[in-house]
Amino acid sequence: MNIGILSKRKTMMTGKLKKCLENKGFTVSIYTLDNLVLDDSLLIHDFYILKSKNLFFLYAGYFLEANNIPVIPRPDVSFIQKNRIQSHFLIKSLDILCPEIYMGAVDTLKRSLNEYPYILKPIMGSGSKGVRIIRSNEDLDGDDKSIKYLEKFIKGIHYNIYFIGNEICTLIKPPLSDEHVDMKKINTPDDIKDLIERWKEYFKGELLFGHLDIVREDFSDKLYVVDPGSFPEFTNWKCEGSPSEKICNLILQQIKKSNSKINLN
Amino acid sequence: MKKIGIIIDKYHLEHKVSEFLKYINSKAEVKIYIEETFLLNSSKLEFDEDVFFVKGKGDLILTIIKSINETTDTPVINSYKGNWLAINRFLNSVVLKKTGIPLPDFALNPKGIIPPFKNYIIKNIIDQKNYKFKPIVHKEKGQLRVADERALNEYDKEDPKYNYLYYQKFIKSKWEYKIYGIGEQIFYNKQLPILVNPNKLDSRVQIDKIPELEEYCFKAMEAMDLKIASLDFLKSKGQFYLTDINCTPNFNYLKDGPQIVANYLLEQAKK
Repeated sequence: MNIGILSKRKTMMTGKLKKCLENKGFTVSIYTLDNLVLDDSLLIHDFYILKSKNLFFLYAGYFLEANNIPVIPRPDVSFIQKNRIQSHFLIKSLDILCPEIYMGAVDTLKRSLNEYPYILKPIMGSGSKGVRIIRSNEDLDGDDKSIKYLEKFIKGIHYNIYFIGNEICTLIKPPLSDEHVDMKKINTPDDIKDLIERWKEYFKGELLFGHLDIVREDFSDKLYVVDPGSFPEFTNWKCEGSPSEKICNLILQQIKKSNSKINLN
Repeated sequence: MKKIGIIIDKYHLEHKVSEFLKYINSKAEVKIYIEETFLLNSSKLEFDEDVFFVKGKGDLILTIIKSINETTDTPVINSYKGNWLAINRFLNSVVLKKTGIPLPDFALNPKGIIPPFKNYIIKNIIDQKNYKFKPIVHKEKGQLRVADERALNEYDKEDPKYNYLYYQKFIKSKWEYKIYGIGEQIFYNKQLPILVNPNKLDSRVQIDKIPELEEYCFKAMEAMDLKIASLDFLKSKGQFYLTDINCTPNFNYLKDGPQIVANYLLEQAKK
C-alpha cells in the first residue's frame, strides 16, 4: 500500500510515522511545500495523513477527498481546529467554555476595548505562532484599518492536554508557550477527562488523537479551552509508550475500518 | 416593515450600492454593518433582522456571517460556506468539478513548477480583496501565458501560503458569457473577453436564455450554497467552461439590478 504524508517538515513526528509505516511494509512519500503539486499526480496513493494544517495541505486534503482518497485526520476536522472562528463557535455549541472574542479594525478596537489584557491571535493558525499578549492600546500596532482577532485573557493555570485513543496525558505549561517547552506532567483531573470526552464525542470517532490547550481560571476554577490542535508533535508526551507508534497503529486501524477495499497486507 | 441587515465594507458602500440603498430604504428598515467600523464582541451578539445581505469578503465580514449563522435562523445571503468557497479559488474548482460542471483544467503549483498545459492564465488563489483583474500577457514561441497582477503580488509574499500559483488552462473564446443568478432568476449577457477589450461594458449585450448555462448556473450555485452570484463562461469547440464565480457581483450592470436584488432579499426575509 502507498501512503502519502502532507507535512511542513520531513523530520520529527512525520519522520517517525514514516519509519513506523515503512517498518510495517508500506511505501511512504512525504509532501512538503517544496514538492506538493496539487493535481492528479497525488492520486497515486491509497491514503494520506494530513500532518500539517497549512492552507495548501488543507486544499490538498479536500482535493483528495473529492477524488475518493481517504485522508486522516479528515480536512474538515483539521480546518475546524485551525480556523479560530470555526473552533470558537464549535466549542460554544458543545457548552464548553472558551474566551470571548473581539474582532475589528485596529482603530475600532482601540476605541472600544478597555478590559485589558487580551490575546492577539491569527484567525488561521495553530500553536503559538503570531500569538501575543495585548496589555494596552499601544500594543495594538499595524495599519489602523487592518482587522485583528483578540481573545479575552483568562488568568489561571495553563494545561497542555494530549490525547491518543483513550489515553490522556496532562501537563502544566507556561502561559502562551508552544508545545515544545518543558512542562510538568500531572494526573489528569476528572473535569479535564470529561471535557476531552465531550470534545471527542462531537467528532464521532474521527478524532483519533489531538490536543487541547486549556486554562483553569483562578477566579472561578472553571476550564476554558483556548486552543485546539489536530496533530501536535507530542514532544512533551510524558506518558507511557511512543506516541508515533500509537498514532501509526490508530491510523492503520481507522483506514482498515473505513475502507475494506484497501488491502492492508 | 421588514428589517434588513447589510454587511458591507467601505469600498462597496461608497461605490457599489447607492441605487440599491435608495430603493431598499423605501421598502424596509435597514441597518448597515460596516467592516471598517464594526466591533464584533462574541458576548454581545444580538441580531433582530429578518434577512441579511452581504457585500464584501473580508475576515470580519465572514465572522459576522458565521456569528449570525450560529446564533439565529435568519437567512444570510450569501452564507458563510458560499463566501468561503467563492474566496478560495482552488477549493471552489474542486467542488464545481465534482458536480460535473465543465471547468478549464487547473493546477495549484509551488514556485517554479509549471502546469501540464501549454497556454494558461495565472489567477489569484484567495480572492478576498477589492481590486480589478489586471492581466499581464506574455506571448512567446506560440505559447500564451497570462498572469493576474494580484496573483503575482501574492506569490512574492514571504508567508509560505503564498508560494503557490493557481493555473487555469487558457480557453480561446470569441465571447465571454456573463451570467447573473439571483435566486431562481438568471440573466444572460455576453461581452468580448477582457483580453480582447479591457472595457468589458463596451461590448456587453443581453442575450437569450441558454439552457446549458442555466443548468450549470443552478448546479454551481447549489453546490456552493450561493443565492446571488455571477458566473463567467468561455466557449470553445461548442463546449462552455466555467472560469470564474463571484459571490458579490456588481448588479448595477444589470438592467434594474438593484431593484431585482432588493426584491429578492425581501422575499427571503423570515417574517
